[in-house]
Amino acid sequence: MTGSEPNTRPPLDGVRVVDFTWIVAGPTCTRLLGDLGAEVIRVENEQTLDSIRFGRPHPNGFDPPDSGAMFNWLNRNKRSITVNARHPDGLDLIKRLIRVSDVVVENYSSRILENWGLSYEEQKAENPRIIYVSLSGFGHSGPQRDYSTWGPTAQALSGLTAMSGLPEAPEPAGWGYSYLDHMAGFTAAAAITAALKHRRDSGRGQWIDLSQVETGMALTGPATLDFTVNGRPYRETGNPPGNRSVWPQAAPHNTYPTAGDDNWIMITCTSDAEWEAFCEVSDHPHWRTDRRFATLPARLRHEDELDEQIGSWTAGQDGRALMQRLQAADVPAGVVQNGVDLVIGDPQMKAREWTVTRDHPVIGEHLTDGLQIQFSRTPAHRDRPGPPLGEANRYVFAELLGLTDERITELQMNGAMG
Amino acid sequence: MGALDGVTVLDCSDPKGHFAGKLLAGLGADVIKIEPPGGDVGRTYGPFLDDQPGPERSLYWWHYAAGKRSVVLDLHSSDGIELFLELAAQSDVVLESCQPGRDRPFDPVALSDHYQGLIVISLTPFGQTGPWRDHAWSDAVGLALGGPMGSCGYDNIPGAPPIRPTEHHAAHIAGYFAATAACTALYEGQQSGLGQHIDVSMHECMGFTIESSAPWALYEQHPLIRQAGRHAGPQPTEPWQYPTADGRLINIFGMPRSEASWLALVAFIQERGMGENLSDLELLDGRKRQLGLQQPTVASMLSDIAEFIAANEAEEIYAGAQAAGAAWSTIRTPDECLADEHWHARGFFVDVEHEERNRTVTFPGAPYILSETPWTHGRRAPLLGEHTREILCGQLGLSDEELGPLIAAGVAQ
Repeated sequence: MTGSEPNTRPPLDGVRVVDFTWIVAGPTCTRLLGDLGAEVIRVENEQTLDSIRFGRPHPNGFDPPDSGAMFNWLNRNKRSITVNARHPDGLDLIKRLIRVSDVVVENYSSRILENWGLSYEEQKAENPRIIYVSLSGFGHSGPQRDYSTWGPTAQALSGLTAMSGLPEAPEPAGWGYSYLDHMAGFTAAAAITAALKHRRDSGRGQWIDLSQVETGMALTGPATLDFTVNGRPYRETGNPPGNRSVWPQAAPHNTYPTAGDDNWIMITCTSDAEWEAFCEVSDHPHWRTDRRFATLPARLRHEDELDEQIGSWTAGQDGRALMQRLQAADVPAGVVQNGVDLVIGDPQMKAREWTVTRDHPVIGEHLTDGLQIQFSRTPAHRDRPGPPLGEANRYVFAELLGLTDERITELQMNGAMG
Repeated sequence: MGALDGVTVLDCSDPKGHFAGKLLAGLGADVIKIEPPGGDVGRTYGPFLDDQPGPERSLYWWHYAAGKRSVVLDLHSSDGIELFLELAAQSDVVLESCQPGRDRPFDPVALSDHYQGLIVISLTPFGQTGPWRDHAWSDAVGLALGGPMGSCGYDNIPGAPPIRPTEHHAAHIAGYFAATAACTALYEGQQSGLGQHIDVSMHECMGFTIESSAPWALYEQHPLIRQAGRHAGPQPTEPWQYPTADGRLINIFGMPRSEASWLALVAFIQERGMGENLSDLELLDGRKRQLGLQQPTVASMLSDIAEFIAANEAEEIYAGAQAAGAAWSTIRTPDECLADEHWHARGFFVDVEHEERNRTVTFPGAPYILSETPWTHGRRAPLLGEHTREILCGQLGLSDEELGPLIAAGVAQ
């Protein structure tokens, strides 16, 4: 970790997080907190391990719980302890840990912590300054609090799935991953850091009740208002619009094929200046004066023909070279990149050292990805790999909680740790 | 009170930062939106009130600018930048989104150096450095280059392109990072008394928001296959979306893991006289009914489930499956979300007065419920320059005699 000079430690240095999270949503939040310098302690249980510890890929051979790449990717900068919360001594250990911590994060179904005896009220009794985040699909109140979600469930219920797709297709394309797992994690991180700031002012902690579906619905503002203000249901107007833009109005605004198998470029012209620059680069300067394409309203009326002509022009061209030609003329254009492109083919990511090589005791040398927030004075960090299961048992139980070796052995034997 | 009560944010961002500013306003900060003469470009984004464009009629603006104050200042004029610097001296955070080489009105790093306690956040498409830093950008180009779009699309429509989910998701994703950066730096600054400059590259924010594409790329350089309505994967998986009797769709991704829940789901289906094959004892083994594992048992199970879904109405299937413990869902549109009592019971939707129009408008509300520092939607979005006088005269102490010429010269509005 950097920062030996005064006031250059990572910004959440000194913040301790008790991390009950699993799968993707909660770990996304605590990865960000860990990058920002918080000490994140994953509380794990050998009987109900995070299934991401088993998920593929396992680059150095399948040897869970510590060989999973996805787990390591999502859980860098964290520590791990093993405790059984259903054992009275295990629950006591957790309560003692909460006393010396700042934040508790969990993304279980809405009654789990309550059933363990760790409701917000019970946590507050241990530590009145605690900031507790419950991250669930439906939140901890309301008639459907016992419903359950995965990322795709929440995306479907929030409207986000329906808002992604080709207009003529029988079903939406939706999101090809758990977007709302990530977004709910980011939402939680924003709320936690705001609550930490508030606590330094007021001395008071709080409970942040986060619903993944609400996180999603909060991202549908203009479409929701089109209904509540104008009375227009979403599907009435040919939505979803594929890769065209409904608002702001723009044309061309679409993906076009380029050379090779399944390669695409996104080209978007939101102003006449961009359109004129595009025509110059396109070797079809007559498009500018073609009455069908001369103005934005005309282009929107003839968007099918416009897209067809542009697509015939881009097909067969090298996508990256085309992107550079268009960018040189200041036309917003970018190839559609997948994860591999970001890691291997992206000169911007390379220049900013988005990936760096790190070591892991089971996986070995591997790439880890970037820090999204670059602080000039208090840099974030990405130095510590994902934790092998229980690697911090000694640190937490002996050093933080002051248990004797005899007591630790006893707790190992009686099932409280494990 | 809000968590950021007492914090002043000077927001000179364009649509890239509109969501970030909204998050900070909702958390209690006084967000002063600096608009260029004529208004922020967001005021030209539809949909519009009664479909009539106009700077005060953009529903995009109504949503993203709610709770902010508006001051119109021409930051490309010397008087305008001088007033901006005076405001910056009184602020805690400056949020800006101008690309470094594109006619930027001020240098954010120099600004942060100049005011020791000030936090300056640059939320830009590619960050402050690198060969693409000044590349022309739009939200859709951001999602294309950044990775999210590469995972979205169709496996069952030949030649279909990757699909960009609509709304402004590049700004949503990066907005969370900018808001978290602001809160984190404010928290740190409470102890050190110091501000700093923060470089948020939207491209890098996108790069983290691609879930399993990232580990497959980082560790194996293995691309994933796009599939309709479900996760992209290293191999094809079974469909999750099935049409209902009332012309809607159900997502069945959450197949029950526990035996009790599976039996409850089967009972729900069989009570309606369907799902004969679901009694297959093999399906009692949790793995044998999981999607995406190439289980031979799954095909007949899915065919029974598809038949059941096709014969019933979406909301009834959703409620019954959830009661059984299956995380199935109706695929809803935003307008359909308003019909669900659960969100009203939690107070998600909020009614906001638009007093000059004599109407109350229902908005989607907060992404979180904070027990001590409730999120606030705040007042309706500001009219263009609504707070110019209040801020320049009330806060900076200009007299009306000084403000008049600035307005006449087009520096303020």
